[in-house]
Amino acid sequence: MLSKSKFKLTAALLAVTLTLGACSTSSSTNSDGNGSTSSSEKVSFTIGYASGDPAAKKAIADSIKKFTDANPSIEIKDMSENTSNSYLDWLKTKDAVGEFPDLVEMRDTEVFADAGKIVELPSDLIELFDSPPEVDGKVWNAPIANNVPQGMIYSKKAYADAGITDLPKTYDEFISIQEKLKSSGITPIVVGGKDIFHMGFWVNKFLIDEVYAEDPDWNSKKTEQAVSFADDNVVQAMTDYKELFQNYVDKGWLSTPDNQTASFLITGKAAQLYSGTWMFSQIEEADPSFEYGFYAIPDREGHVNVIGLPSPAGWTLSAEAAKDPEKTEAIKKFIRFFFEPEQYSQYLASVNGIPSTKAEVTYETGEAMQTALDLMSDPNVTKSLAINNWWGENLIPPQFRNWFYKKLQEMVLNDADVKTYMEQVDAEYDNQVKANSM
Amino acid sequence: MDKEGVFELGIPASTEKGTLATASARKRKKKHHPFAVVFILPSLILYTLFVIVPTLGSAYLSFTSWDGISEDIRYIGFANFIEIWSSPRVHNALKNTLIMTVSLVVLENIAAIAMALMVDKVRWFKNLFRSIFYFPTLLSGIVMGFVWAMILNYNFGVVNQILNNMGLGSWTVDWLGDPKYAMLSVILSTVWKGAGYYMIIYLAGLQSIPPELSEAANIDGANGWQQFRFITFPLLAGSVTVCMVLSMISALKIFDQIAVMTDGGPGFATETLTYIIYKVGFGELRQGFGTALAMVLFVIILIITMIQVKILRKREVQY
Repeated sequence: MLSKSKFKLTAALLAVTLTLGACSTSSSTNSDGNGSTSSSEKVSFTIGYASGDPAAKKAIADSIKKFTDANPSIEIKDMSENTSNSYLDWLKTKDAVGEFPDLVEMRDTEVFADAGKIVELPSDLIELFDSPPEVDGKVWNAPIANNVPQGMIYSKKAYADAGITDLPKTYDEFISIQEKLKSSGITPIVVGGKDIFHMGFWVNKFLIDEVYAEDPDWNSKKTEQAVSFADDNVVQAMTDYKELFQNYVDKGWLSTPDNQTASFLITGKAAQLYSGTWMFSQIEEADPSFEYGFYAIPDREGHVNVIGLPSPAGWTLSAEAAKDPEKTEAIKKFIRFFFEPEQYSQYLASVNGIPSTKAEVTYETGEAMQTALDLMSDPNVTKSLAINNWWGENLIPPQFRNWFYKKLQEMVLNDADVKTYMEQVDAEYDNQVKANSM
Repeated sequence: MDKEGVFELGIPASTEKGTLATASARKRKKKHHPFAVVFILPSLILYTLFVIVPTLGSAYLSFTSWDGISEDIRYIGFANFIEIWSSPRVHNALKNTLIMTVSLVVLENIAAIAMALMVDKVRWFKNLFRSIFYFPTLLSGIVMGFVWAMILNYNFGVVNQILNNMGLGSWTVDWLGDPKYAMLSVILSTVWKGAGYYMIIYLAGLQSIPPELSEAANIDGANGWQQFRFITFPLLAGSVTVCMVLSMISALKIFDQIAVMTDGGPGFATETLTYIIYKVGFGELRQGFGTALAMVLFVIILIITMIQVKILRKREVQY
């Protein structure tokens, strides 16, 4: 009887010990979770940035490596293994599992600032930049680069083969060029529609031409229901969008990811790609001998409107990291290093970016990048922003952009009536504004 | 007949001996209860902490407008559920979920039974075939999704390349970019991955059927189809119940393949309830609404599983 009782007691104690052991294991894992400041000499912090674009990813990774080589007492844990899917999805998921990066490339500044997830940029870093954008009167970001214009990257050979000698001066001339390309037997345009962010390039080209170039405050008016997606100007923009996609875009656009579009151009499967200057490095790396050009597509009146206004985005400190003075100092040191002219020029050269700093930064550019820089310095070119890059009163519901782009995909695939779809879009926008206000 | 006596000892409880024996058995049963609880305590604690508590927490969050990142959690009553009821996007996701679930359950189980029969009957390389059929199950959904996305790519994929090389260029379609084919592509690739798992369960069921029944059927002149219909399939009812329930639950929660292959697209053509929960909760900063959707999915799975088990249990045959 005694041995039976001892056995039962031992078994019960074992069961309890196992349970407590499992609990202690998980809590010790958590304490090392997110790049802690160790008590030894090395200071470490985590960094997160959008790594969907290969050129940008490599450029930032190289910067991190150079910094850590020069500063062995600082360790930077690069968490940026996100795919080309929505960066916001990735960031939000990281936050949900308690891994919000200490230094983060922030794109939805207002949302995360309102949520208390990020802090203002330290004042000694603000002086590095020339009038950085403010949200609620505060500067939150160190802009990694200024917004670059998007335009048509075209194969010179394809244009020559189709007998195209002049670049278009109006949108109608642009459409004529597409017809010539089609007749020459090449697919006019490649679109990386598998990646939802890529859809925004064309959507915003038409929205800027028909809406934002005339009225930069259109978003705030829409939120107040003073304007509608079913208004003539928006319907015209989306009609042009639909017609372009149905007639001139490669048939497999929905299963082509963004990182395959350069190879389409280089291999001659398509003549043109509408994208930004960051693609130049990818193209040149894939085929240094490929001859390409770049231009902004004019609107019907011959006026050129491009993305190019600054927006509140860039390197941002997390609220959590800001509580640790050593970590904050290490992050500030990295930011200063990143924007030092010599290192910054190498970064900008990799991504064909436009500097955001007060200090002059120069790098060797090709013909295409020079065209982009000329657009930015031309006072006759209207600078604007994409639908989701506006802020303050012009901030749209964060969930609207991806839904809108997918809805437009559906509209093109179903060959649906544009006005009907824009009425649905309008209703959904109002619903989302209402839901967010609750 | 006294029910108690028949159940416990096989002796009618009317006898004194039977009554004493029943009471003593009950006493032994009662003695073991506290000790048994100690052994299930660790699992119970872990299950409570990682399943029950989060479920109750989610139930609370489903009545809020929490964005998932701020500390401000506002109670909004049934507003999320009202929006679910009226949202065209949710209705579309429900429709896609239903189509995908029914298709996956039917196709996976048919394929699994067919593979199990083949592996059971084949004389040579039985283990090799079993491994080949089971191998896709070992792949993660993400890996499988990437592989099939490359195979089905409109421009570079193997399927379209083969069709072009065979002179069937007109048959090439955008398997993942055309709404007519995207759902089918996801379903077939998921069947390819999942059928092997259920094959193992069916194989175990087949191997537990006494061979004498087949021999007797042979002697009576039954052909292969008749043997399957009247002997094999009824005796597989237990395996069918398990596999149908598991495949139904798995199909209702499908996520990885959609995330990698189509991102719920083209448009919203392959967006299911599970996927919309992720997109809304994580990508659109509407954790409260996403949690409400998750609660709705939970109730749907619960109801369907209960109905399914009840129906399928009735046809189980004991021999």
